[in-house]
Amino acid sequence: MIEVRNAALAYGACVFLRGVSFALAPGEVLALVGPNGVGKTTLLRAMAGLHAPAEGEVVLDGRALQAIAPRARAREVALVSADGPAVEGVTVRELVSAGRLPYRPWWRWSPDPEDAGAVDEALSRTELSHHAERPFHALSSGERQRVWIALALAQRARTLLLDEPTSHLDMRHAFEALRLVRAFAAQGHAAVVVLHDLNLAAAFADRIALLGAGRLLRCGTPEEALDEVLLRTAYGVRIDVQRRPDGRVVAFANPDG
Amino acid sequence: MVSAIHSSSRRAATLCALALFFVIALAVAAGVGAVRYPPAAVARAALHPFGASGADQVLWMLRFPRVLMAALVGAALSLAGALLQGMLRNPLVDPYLTGASAGAACAVAVALVFGLALPALPLVAFVAALATAALVAALARTGSGISAERLILAGVSLSALFAGVVTLVLVMAPPTGTSLGILAWLGGSLSGRSWPELSWAALYALAGAAAALALAPALNALRLGEERARALGVNVDRAHWGIVGSAALLTAAAVSISGMVGFVGLIVPHVARRMVGSDARWMLPACALAGAILVVAADALSRALVPPIELPLGVLLSLLGVPAFLYLAFHRRAA
Repeated sequence: MIEVRNAALAYGACVFLRGVSFALAPGEVLALVGPNGVGKTTLLRAMAGLHAPAEGEVVLDGRALQAIAPRARAREVALVSADGPAVEGVTVRELVSAGRLPYRPWWRWSPDPEDAGAVDEALSRTELSHHAERPFHALSSGERQRVWIALALAQRARTLLLDEPTSHLDMRHAFEALRLVRAFAAQGHAAVVVLHDLNLAAAFADRIALLGAGRLLRCGTPEEALDEVLLRTAYGVRIDVQRRPDGRVVAFANPDG
Repeated sequence: MVSAIHSSSRRAATLCALALFFVIALAVAAGVGAVRYPPAAVARAALHPFGASGADQVLWMLRFPRVLMAALVGAALSLAGALLQGMLRNPLVDPYLTGASAGAACAVAVALVFGLALPALPLVAFVAALATAALVAALARTGSGISAERLILAGVSLSALFAGVVTLVLVMAPPTGTSLGILAWLGGSLSGRSWPELSWAALYALAGAAAALALAPALNALRLGEERARALGVNVDRAHWGIVGSAALLTAAAVSISGMVGFVGLIVPHVARRMVGSDARWMLPACALAGAILVVAADALSRALVPPIELPLGVLLSLLGVPAFLYLAFHRRAA
């Protein structure tokens, strides 16, 4: 599993996040929350091996992620990035098949039976089987998000990283996307999800990592992480947190704050 | 531009049809000229290399190298255009973006001013085209990769610089052979070249085409965007260098034998995408064949329209091809 050890993230000489440490456990969904620009996406990219930490390291099963060859890394860690360019002239199946690239030697151009099996399984888990031959650009936002998740599932990686998978989605489609993530984790894998909605994070994640003020303010259960003082430090506004009778916490903005 | 979705069997049928059209175009085009030969005579001559009959002589000495050069120029420019459009995710990019043709035109202009002999021009053009592309790539370099935006900026500005030099030479040079030679180059032409030029240009073009095909999986991944391609384990930096390098090799091989032939590298990739979709494994071969057919046909027309005058190839392609393409593009959109 992936472990972030005392990582500092920077662009050029500008360090914007320091001393980040946490480890993922098998079966776990971790939500990454914090204000815009705090470095959630960059932290996710670092966990995918696409951004080298300025200090510290990201470790996969005891090996530094940066030292692992890109294709081998892509077989272990799948990243669903937030916004990609529009992709035209491609069927859903073709797009999901791209998830098999890390397994395909350069001389083999077409999918082998194992690739086809992984693609079919990913399509079926995301309930896209009946859309497989449709053009991607003809799908709705909710369906497109499921295609990107299916592509990542076809990678058969043990760690899934998702950057704001619920932006542009209504409640129902957001729930559907996050249920897919939960089902993925339930197989003994791990997932990290960047979210802006604190209540979605509390509802779907086992743990929440709250980033703010250039550091990891807390990484713990939703009850531990959604702390009014810490949320004020992170977002600079007053956010009230209430505990419901079932023990869950609910956060809402206080307009007087 | 939206490209349609195509099944594998339909794509294979399209490629076979293109290959058939290509062979027919070669046979017909080889028969066109001051002396006309029917396709049957062309086929007979093709089986008797450098035979004794007059037809065999004319076809093997003049026509065959000419139509093969046309095919090479069309295929090379179309492939280079498809590579760069795929890398930059921009359908407006043409193979001349790397500055290869402008650099070559500039070198040819300067060489003519200094009185260099005509047979040396293809070599001068080839070296200048590659050198300019290398300079553009060096300017576009960021870290270990090539930035798409910087490549466009560097390519467009260096091309403008070299175009300025060419215009300057045209204005200052005495109105004799020098300016006529430069104008002929800018108009694009395949006359006065034969097997030697063809054989070494073909060597580089084939190397570029092989590299292009090897890059097909990377090009497919780049359709999803650079970040997603990287996340899939694609070495995007290496793919960019490979794409720019093979596009430069293909363009340099083409401009060294034909001068400036516009329009092909910009438009043919669009046509190929319409025919077989955007999957590079199918699109690149379709592109090469369609580009070859187009230039072979255009070169035959340039020789046949007002004999014995040969119309400039690039000019003819623009005059006939652009309205045809615009009609297709906008007619379809309106429908």
